[in-house]
Amino acid sequence: MTSSSSTATATGERRDQASPPALEMQDARKVYEVAGEDVVALDQATLSVAAGEIIALVGPSGSGKTTLCSIAGGLLSATSGSVVVGGQDITGFSARQLTEFRRTSVGFVFQSVNLVPFLTARENLLVVDELAGRAGRKGDAAARADQLLDELGLTARAGNLPGQLSGGQSQRVAIGRALMNEPDLVLFDEPTSALDSTLGDQVVKLIRDEMKARGTAAIIVTHDDRITHYADRTVHIEDGRVDA
Amino acid sequence: MLALREIRRSLVRFGLLVAAIALLVFLILFQQALRDGLITSFVGGIRNQSAPVLVYNVDALNALQASSISPDLERKISQAEGVGRTARVGERTFTAMVDGGDTQDASVIGTDDRQLFHPTELSKGRRPSARAEAVGSDADFAVGDKVEIVPAEGGGSVTITVVGVAEDIQLSVTPTLFTDLETFGDAVRAANPDVTEVPPNAIAVAPENGASPESVVAAINASSPDADALTRADAAASSPGVAQVTRSFQVIFLLYGLVVPLVTGLFFLILTLQKAPSLTLLRAVGARKAVLVRSLLTQVVLIVGLGLVIGVALFFPLSQSRVGGLPLGFSSAAVISWSVLLLFLALISAVASLRRVLRIDPIQATRGGGVR
Amino acid sequence: MRLAVTELLRRPGRFVLAGVVLTLISLLLMLLGGLLDGLIASSTGAYRAQPGDLISYSSRSENSLVRSRITASDRSVVSQTPGVQAVGGLGSIQLGARPGDDPKSRDPFATVLFGYELAPRGLPATPPAQGSVYADDVLAGDGVAVGDTLLLGPQRSPVKVRGFVTDTRYAGQASLWGSLATWRAVTTENRPGQTPGDTVQALIVETGASPPATVAQTIDEATDGRTTTLTVTRATQELPGVAQQTATFNQIIGVTVLVALVVVALFFALITVERTAQYGLLKAIGASGFTLFGGLIAQAIAVTLVAAAIGVGAAVVFAAVLPPGAIPFQATPARLAGNVGLMLLASVFGCAFSLRRVLRIDPASAIGS
Repeated sequence: MTSSSSTATATGERRDQASPPALEMQDARKVYEVAGEDVVALDQATLSVAAGEIIALVGPSGSGKTTLCSIAGGLLSATSGSVVVGGQDITGFSARQLTEFRRTSVGFVFQSVNLVPFLTARENLLVVDELAGRAGRKGDAAARADQLLDELGLTARAGNLPGQLSGGQSQRVAIGRALMNEPDLVLFDEPTSALDSTLGDQVVKLIRDEMKARGTAAIIVTHDDRITHYADRTVHIEDGRVDA
Repeated sequence: MLALREIRRSLVRFGLLVAAIALLVFLILFQQALRDGLITSFVGGIRNQSAPVLVYNVDALNALQASSISPDLERKISQAEGVGRTARVGERTFTAMVDGGDTQDASVIGTDDRQLFHPTELSKGRRPSARAEAVGSDADFAVGDKVEIVPAEGGGSVTITVVGVAEDIQLSVTPTLFTDLETFGDAVRAANPDVTEVPPNAIAVAPENGASPESVVAAINASSPDADALTRADAAASSPGVAQVTRSFQVIFLLYGLVVPLVTGLFFLILTLQKAPSLTLLRAVGARKAVLVRSLLTQVVLIVGLGLVIGVALFFPLSQSRVGGLPLGFSSAAVISWSVLLLFLALISAVASLRRVLRIDPIQATRGGGVR
Repeated sequence: MRLAVTELLRRPGRFVLAGVVLTLISLLLMLLGGLLDGLIASSTGAYRAQPGDLISYSSRSENSLVRSRITASDRSVVSQTPGVQAVGGLGSIQLGARPGDDPKSRDPFATVLFGYELAPRGLPATPPAQGSVYADDVLAGDGVAVGDTLLLGPQRSPVKVRGFVTDTRYAGQASLWGSLATWRAVTTENRPGQTPGDTVQALIVETGASPPATVAQTIDEATDGRTTTLTVTRATQELPGVAQQTATFNQIIGVTVLVALVVVALFFALITVERTAQYGLLKAIGASGFTLFGGLIAQAIAVTLVAAAIGVGAAVVFAAVLPPGAIPFQATPARLAGNVGLMLLASVFGCAFSLRRVLRIDPASAIGS
C-alpha cells in the first residue's frame, strides 16, 4: 500500500499514506478591524491534518473555530501565516484563485443553509460541476452523482426538492455534494446540531464511513461527544489559540 | 423611529424607489402641462373669446379656416330662434413682419362687432377703438408693435397696430391678432390681390336674453343643413386634432398613473415579506400591531412624499420653458391634484403589505419562522 | 446560466412582480412610440410619396404649402434651370367629402385634394382625367369603394374614385389625387376668394444625377429669390407639428426608458438581498461573483423579454382592432424592435446596481449562520 502518491479520479480509491497532508496550517493569524480597533479572531494557529484523517474541532463560542475552518477551506485569507491544503499552497491566493480552489479541492457541509432550495437532491449534487464552466467540467459527473446518492441511501429521493426532505436526508445530500469534486479536505460545521440522537448517530457514522472509504480528510466543528469518539483526534481551540 | 432607521440602513433600495416615483411624477406633470399647453395653443383663441355660440359651415369639419358662410346661410342663422346679436368672423394665417423684423406667421381674426369674438380678458393695454388696431397673443406681441402683412405681387400694404395683449388666445400654435373685419379683408386682398369677395369664415352669435347657448345651437342647426353651430366649449374641444390629442393623453395618463401605485405597492410587499422574521420577533417581544402599521404607513408617506417633491422640483424649471414651441406652465392646481391622487393610490397599494403585517402570529417566533 | 434559468422557471413568483411593472412600462413605450409614428405618418404621407428630390415654395409663404403660390412664369424659369430634369406642379385644397349617395350628410370626411403632375408613389404617371381621383386607402376603411362618387366641399363638386393608394395622407387627413385641372376646378368652385388661375402652390423638381442641394440653390438664384427650394426630406420635417411632436415624444420615451431602468434596478436589488444566503452558499462551493451576476443579468433579460413580448403583442392587436381615425397609431416593426432593444438596455444597466452587492457577498458568511 505504499505506491507513489497519486490522486486518482475513479470513485472510491484510497489515497495512500504517502499523499501530502490534507492540511498544513502554520502560525495562521486572522485580524479584523472593527470600529477602528483590531480584533484577533485567530492567533498563531498551527494545525496539521494528515491525508484521510478525521479531526474533531472543539471549543466555546467565539473561540475561532469558524475562522479556522474558513481559512482552511479557502473562504478567507489569513492575515499572516501559511496554509497548505492537499499540497497546494493557498497562502497568497487571490479571491479568484480561492474560488477555483474551493471548487476543485474542498467540500463544505454547513450548519443550516446547505442546499439550493429550488434544485432537486440530484441537481444539488451536480451544481458544483455546472459551475465549472465548459473547460473544467468532468464528463462523469452524472454517474458520480448517482453513485453517491446510492451510497448515501438517497436514490429514492433524488428527484425531491430540499423542502420535501427531512433534516437527516438534507444533511446526507449536503455530504454527497461536498464529496462530488473529490476534495482533499471536507469541513463540517456542527453537522448534528439540528438532529435528534438516533439520526445524529446515523449521520456521524455515515460521515466516518464515507470519509474513510475515500481516504478524504475532514475537520468537524462540533460540541457533540459522539463525534469526538468517531474522530481520529480531537483538537481544542480557545480565544483563537489552538491546543494541538 | 423604526421606520426612519430602516430607511437609513437600506438607502440604495429606498433611494431607487424614490427615484422611480420622482421620474414618474415628473413625466405625469410634464405630460399634463404638455396637453394643457397643446390645447391652449391650438384653441385658446376660441376658448377665451366672448361669443357663446359659433357657427361654422358644416363642410369645414370644425376648422375655422376651412369654413365659409354664404349670405344665404348667414340669413338663415340670424333668423333662427333665440339668436340675439350676430357678427361675421374672418380668420386666416398670413406671413407678417413685426416692426420690420424677420417674417413670421400671424393668424389674423377679424370681426364686425367688437363685442363678439374678441378676447374676454386683456393682460395689458386697451381694446381696439379704431380701424387696424388689434389685441395680440401676449407670448408673441407687445403693446405698440406694428405688424405688417407681407403683400403678394401687386398687393396693397396693411399694417396692424397692437394696442392690447391677452393671455392664451392663440389659434393653431400661431401668433394671433384680433382686429376688425375690414382690416381682415384688406389683409386677405394684400396677400392675394386676385380675390374679389371675402366671405366670413364663421358667424359668432350671442343668444337673446333668456335663451341658453345650447338651445340656440339646436335651433341654428335645425335651420339649415349647412350650418354647424357649437357652443364655445364644444367648438374648442372638437377642433381638428384636439379631440385626438385629448383621447391619446387620457390613455397615457391612465397607464402612468397605474405604474406608480404598482411599483410602490409591490416594493413594500416584497420588503414586508423579507422582513417577516424580524417583524415576528417584534410582535413576540410585545410591539403592538398599531406600531408596525404606523411604521409601514409612515414609510409609504415619506417615500412617496419625497418622490413627489423631487418630481415637482424636476418639473418646475421645465415648466417655465417652451417645448417644441409649446409654452408649458406650472399649474399649482394640477400639481396638487396629482400629488393627492398619487399619494392616495400609494397608500391603497400598501394595503396588501398591511394585511401581511396584521396577519403575523407572534408564536411563530418560537419556531424560528415568520409569515409564510 | 442554467442555474439562473432553472431558478426563474421553478420560482417565478419573485420575478412576476417585477415583470408586471415592466409589462406596464412596455405597454407605455409601445403606446407612445405607436402614437408618434401614427401622428407623423398621417401628417407626412403625401410628401414622402413624392417622386422628386426638391420642392419649391414661394418665398413669402414661410414654407407653408397652403400659402404658397408659384406663377407660370416662375415655373418656366425653374424648368429651364440647369440640373433640373423635370418639374411638376402641386396644388392642394382641404375640404369635406360626402359620399355621392348622401349629399346632405352632416358628417363629411376630412380630405385634402391634391392636383399633381409628377406622379407620387402608387399613382399613374398620367394624372386621372378631369373629375377623377385616386383616394388614400384610409377612406376604404370609411366605406368608400372604387367607382364611388365623392362630393367635395360646400359646392358638392363631384369626383369619381378610380382607385386607391397607400400612405399618402397629409395633415392627418385622407388625400385625394387628381390632375391640376381637377384641383383648379374644385378650388374655384368652393373657394371663391382663392382662384388659382394658372398658378400652383409648389413645384416638385426632379434633379436626376445632379446633387439636389446645389440645384436648389441654383433655382432660387434663377428666380431672384422669389422661390425657396428645399429637399423633400427637409420639407417633410418642417411640416407643421412634425419636428415638435418627434422631439417631445422622444423625450417622454427617453424618460420612460429611464423609469424602466430604475424599476429593474429596484426589483433586482430586492431580489438580490433575498438571495444573499443562497449566493453565499454558491460562492462557498466555488461560484465566482461574476458567474452569479451573469445569472442575474440572464434573469433580468428573460423577464424583460417576456414583458416586451407582451407589449409587442398588445401593440399589434391594438393596431389591428383600432377603428380608423380614432387614435393615430401605427405598430411598425422598426419601432417595436427599437422599444424591445431599449428595454433590454435598461434591463442590463439596471442590474448594474446589484453588481457590487453580488460581488461583495462574503462566502464565509455562509458558515456559522
